[in-house]
Amino acid sequence: MTLAAGQWPAYAEPAAGPAAGPSDPRQRSGTLVVWRLELAKLRGQWRVRAIALMCLVGPFVIVAGLNVQSATPGDTAFGQWVHTSGFAIPMVILGFGGQWLLPVGTAVVAGDIFSSEDHFGTWKTILTRSRSRGELFAGKFLAACTFATAAMVLLIITGLLAGLLAGTQPVVGLGGQLVTASHATELVVVSWLSVMPPVLGFTALAIFTSVASRNSAVGIGVPVVLTLAFQVVTLIALPAWGQQVLLSTPFTAWHGFWEQPAYVGPFLYGLLTSAVWFTLCSAAAWLVFRRRTIGGAS
Amino acid sequence: MTEATGHVVEARGVSKWFGETTALDAVDFTVTPGVVHGLLGPNGAGKTTLLSALFGLVLPDEGTLRLFGRTRAEAGPGWLDGVAGFVETPRFYPYLSGRRNLAVLAGLDGGDAAALIDQALERAGLADARGRRVKGYSLGMRQRLGLAAAMLRRPRLLILDEPTNGMDPAGIRDLRTALRQLARDGVTVILSSHNMTQVEEICDAVTVLHRGKIAFAGRLDAMRADAPDPVWRLRTGDDGAALEQARRSAGVKAERHDDGGLVVFAAQDPMDEYVLTLARDGVAIRGLELDVTPLESLFFQLTGEAGQPGETRQTPAGLFIPPARPDNVPVTEEVP
Repeated sequence: MTLAAGQWPAYAEPAAGPAAGPSDPRQRSGTLVVWRLELAKLRGQWRVRAIALMCLVGPFVIVAGLNVQSATPGDTAFGQWVHTSGFAIPMVILGFGGQWLLPVGTAVVAGDIFSSEDHFGTWKTILTRSRSRGELFAGKFLAACTFATAAMVLLIITGLLAGLLAGTQPVVGLGGQLVTASHATELVVVSWLSVMPPVLGFTALAIFTSVASRNSAVGIGVPVVLTLAFQVVTLIALPAWGQQVLLSTPFTAWHGFWEQPAYVGPFLYGLLTSAVWFTLCSAAAWLVFRRRTIGGAS
Repeated sequence: MTEATGHVVEARGVSKWFGETTALDAVDFTVTPGVVHGLLGPNGAGKTTLLSALFGLVLPDEGTLRLFGRTRAEAGPGWLDGVAGFVETPRFYPYLSGRRNLAVLAGLDGGDAAALIDQALERAGLADARGRRVKGYSLGMRQRLGLAAAMLRRPRLLILDEPTNGMDPAGIRDLRTALRQLARDGVTVILSSHNMTQVEEICDAVTVLHRGKIAFAGRLDAMRADAPDPVWRLRTGDDGAALEQARRSAGVKAERHDDGGLVVFAAQDPMDEYVLTLARDGVAIRGLELDVTPLESLFFQLTGEAGQPGETRQTPAGLFIPPARPDNVPVTEEVP
């Protein structure tokens, strides 16, 4: 194996004028270019495929599991109705997933998307191309948010489909009222969509820990530990404002949609809380990233 | 490049600190177009920091850096247009193949870079390994992939940090030829190394860094003019007679080596005359080799290095050319 000496120049074609890129690649949005490439990289990762597979078949596996047993997850909202209405199933998944699966799922990707470049030492490879730090940051951030959103959408679809397979009978709401099938479908979708803001908040949190620590274990682990900590904290008697600043609280805001009469106050507070977490974590991540020294300087 | 200065790279008073450590100390560094410019220095001299600063990986604490006449602020996102290369060992995504890695980088570059991938892999000698995951590549193969990745950008300034690390001799020879050809075609090459011999063979000009400061900057021929005598290892049939003859020979200084034989300090012509005289006197010459070239000697003087890591130089203490304090070396000739 040898370098083809003397053949490079025909291909290098040095220009005579001022420095120019390959053909001014900034004609297209650098952020979108990075975003597209990050998604392609994510598709090649086994853990992303595993999460996608879980989102795809998980709800159906749960339905199959519930069908072979008479017991119900009675301590979960809608748990007692899983054998009487298919609409209860996506809500049970949401009730459980909102506490654990969704924060962990998004952290697995977002907590690694920056620090994996540290792990592989590839920052210096990609930062010496035609893209700025800002474009790389935004593209990666967007890719992590895209993954979280796509996983959520997939779960909404498969959860609803799995529920519909189990039955389309009206379901009993949290206020004791009977909710018709068409209205229940709307409420399932809206409830799932209502947890998007805290999921994106956890995404930003995981990105910040990933950027700050340069370590994937920390990037993924800290949001997971925080999720656990939030669970513990909610068990103690916190004042109302204390509960509202926790990023886990908005995961239960959808309960208000199923009450009689319905209310959206917790959702709006949750939206604000999630926005604050998202903004602070994003800004902190960018501040750390924009001036950091990249690997190996002696 | 600026019409005012004509420099491809222009660093003025660049300093960088990492905590208490001074990595670069008011460095002035200029590179003119179409040359292969060597950046020399022992490990920890600041070479990688300087190259990292050129790539924007490290932000200087003081000073000004210009590529093609533009500061980073003036150039904006186009700072690295026309610039390619790598610092330290090129790194890639190990779970992707060599080709997929280049596809990712070509995607970042845009333009026609993607169309050059197969050509680049072939010219880097990686055609057969293009589909293999990079985690199975040897160090030399990664260096080649790094070169291929750099050439996707059709660079006018190629920055290579120790590019021959891990390469086999044939690869080093081919790289040398390729870099010379690139320079002839107008590509400016900055090549960092701690190997003076390698730099002598490839470079037109050289900057020597030591402890973050410039210890020498100038053309290689100017450096040669300043260089001390080379150091030779001589084995004879009668070292005593050879030592005696050295005392009588102009421009020759010889001393015994701990491991036997002699260490001789002499320029080429006095050395030739000395060896011929020994032969005429009936002293058998059993071995003669150039131990330290003049430029190596100067490099060691400038940097206070007694040799390269891993080398088995056995010059006895006291015989070696005493290192000069870098601060006292009057240098920084403007590279033409």
